[in-house]
Amino acid sequence: MLLRTLLLAAVLLSLATLGSCAKKERAATKVIGVSLLNRGHIFYKDLEEGLQEQAKKEGYELIVTSADFDLGKQISQIEDFVARKVDAIILCPVDSRGVGPGVLTASQAGIPVFTADIAAENAPVVCHIASDNIAGGRLAGEYMAKLLNGAGKVAIINQPVVTSVLDRVQGFRDALSKFPGITIVADVNGQGVRDRALQAAADVLQAHQDLAGVFGINDDSALGTLDACEQFKRDKPPVIIGYDATPPAADAIKRGSALKADVVQYPKKIGSSTIDMIRAHFAGQPVPKVFPVEVGIVDQAKLSAI
Amino acid sequence: MATDTRRAVVDLLGRYGILLAFLLQVLIFSQLSPYFMTGENLLNVSLQASINAIIAAGMTFVILTAGIDLSVGSVVALAGIVATTVCKVDLPFPLNIGAGIAAGLLFGTLSGLGGGLFVTRFRITPFIITLALMTIWRGAAFVVTDGRPVWELPAEFASLGGGRLGGIPVPTIVMLAVYAVAHVVLTRTRFGRYVYAVGGNIEAARLAGVRPQRILLAVYAISGVLSAVSGILLASRMNSGQPNAGGMYELDAIAAVVVGGTSLQGGRGTLVGTFIGAMLIAVLRNGLNLMNVSSYLQQVIVGLVILLATMIDQAKKT
Repeated sequence: MLLRTLLLAAVLLSLATLGSCAKKERAATKVIGVSLLNRGHIFYKDLEEGLQEQAKKEGYELIVTSADFDLGKQISQIEDFVARKVDAIILCPVDSRGVGPGVLTASQAGIPVFTADIAAENAPVVCHIASDNIAGGRLAGEYMAKLLNGAGKVAIINQPVVTSVLDRVQGFRDALSKFPGITIVADVNGQGVRDRALQAAADVLQAHQDLAGVFGINDDSALGTLDACEQFKRDKPPVIIGYDATPPAADAIKRGSALKADVVQYPKKIGSSTIDMIRAHFAGQPVPKVFPVEVGIVDQAKLSAI
Repeated sequence: MATDTRRAVVDLLGRYGILLAFLLQVLIFSQLSPYFMTGENLLNVSLQASINAIIAAGMTFVILTAGIDLSVGSVVALAGIVATTVCKVDLPFPLNIGAGIAAGLLFGTLSGLGGGLFVTRFRITPFIITLALMTIWRGAAFVVTDGRPVWELPAEFASLGGGRLGGIPVPTIVMLAVYAVAHVVLTRTRFGRYVYAVGGNIEAARLAGVRPQRILLAVYAISGVLSAVSGILLASRMNSGQPNAGGMYELDAIAAVVVGGTSLQGGRGTLVGTFIGAMLIAVLRNGLNLMNVSSYLQQVIVGLVILLATMIDQAKKT
């Protein structure tokens, strides 16, 4: 009981302190509320670091919270930000559709909302800042063309229900369209998970004995393809390009397997660009609806250098 | 006379309809794709079918008692994670793999027994308790791995699912062994007859001296352990424990069982039917992929074939 009273007192005290701080600083610095998808994943740790560093440069105060994949939690975090009258809100939505009402509440209170990494659908968001997946797919396509010297049969292990994946595949196809020697002979659904990708890739390998390259739309798709290649033990397995460079994929690239390269996103850049967009908005400059952040590609040489 | 002929045709369709549909499908694909009838592809299909077929064998036992097991896909994922995690314990070679397999199988058995206990002791409908287990085990798979795959396994682990004996993939051999044993159990033992009896009429079975509780407990344990077998083979093929593996596998398994002619009302069905059902679905997916049919259209076609196969089966009853 005593413990509980003490805890309550501590919470009230800290709240009061926070409140007075906010009041004091209101005139001086802009306060930005952030609700991340989660804080455990390395991607979001990097994104947060990018936010923090850039905010420090601009002299903004960040209140960073994490929704931990819980939409209810994210909505209440938004409501807290509205109650605190922050100057802007940054969201990594838990659910692109479900977050809509929360965004509306904030914008009706006159608080501009920005989304990073994941978009919100049908919601009054000022600007969405995310990796340029079309450019990522294009990088993968150009690297594939280089590996194949501009000729050969290529397959896509796809997951054609996710917007960001559709963008990746569009970029990949765009890049390869410049190489008449390369034909895309198969485009199958691996559902973005390794077990389904393995099965789909095994079928494609059967149908196209002379397959020269495979683009996996994420690392599970690429690694599932690698599993399938190892199952058939071809003398000359197709070269594989993946997306994201997760640790198992980076490991496969480094040890010289058929997985040759991966597109990588720069979450830190997403974070800093988000603050840049907010600064522009505060200054009354126009900001684009969508701000694409550049991506890169890593291969054995680049990964070994790190 | 005419009705006799009709009856005979219907009887023939009912008895051999699935087999005929399967053979027809094989014939069609062998005409449409030059790669279908190659030895390598047929081994590939058997390998792909094995994961679902092994789960479907256990599911057949459960459905024969008029139950259902929705937890199988999540058990596949978590059994794979348990096995791969235990494998990484620092033990000399055969012991580490053995301990991993044993731990995975133990988890599957316990999950099945747990589900069975809720069905028998607490009288919760199988649909609900196995739905709960499906959610719990899927969540647990993400919790214990923090959403990341279990990898960097001992090299020998991959040879379980990726290896071959006499040119035949190991999972294919395991599948054939599972079906041989399960078929004998179901058709030649007292336990097997009791499974049919409990599914046919649980009260009649009770009055005849069968203890339905034990039979029910056993069928869920069988389903759990066979799902774990699949989970371990799958993890080995991927050389990693994936928390998102086995998604929707329960539906594939139920489809194989139902397409194979087992009644969801229980008491009627065979493992041979389930085997052909699983093969039919695997061949269909493989054939459509070989022909590069769009993935959107594939879902429609698979659904239509399931519908058609069950309609042939329905003809048997009328």
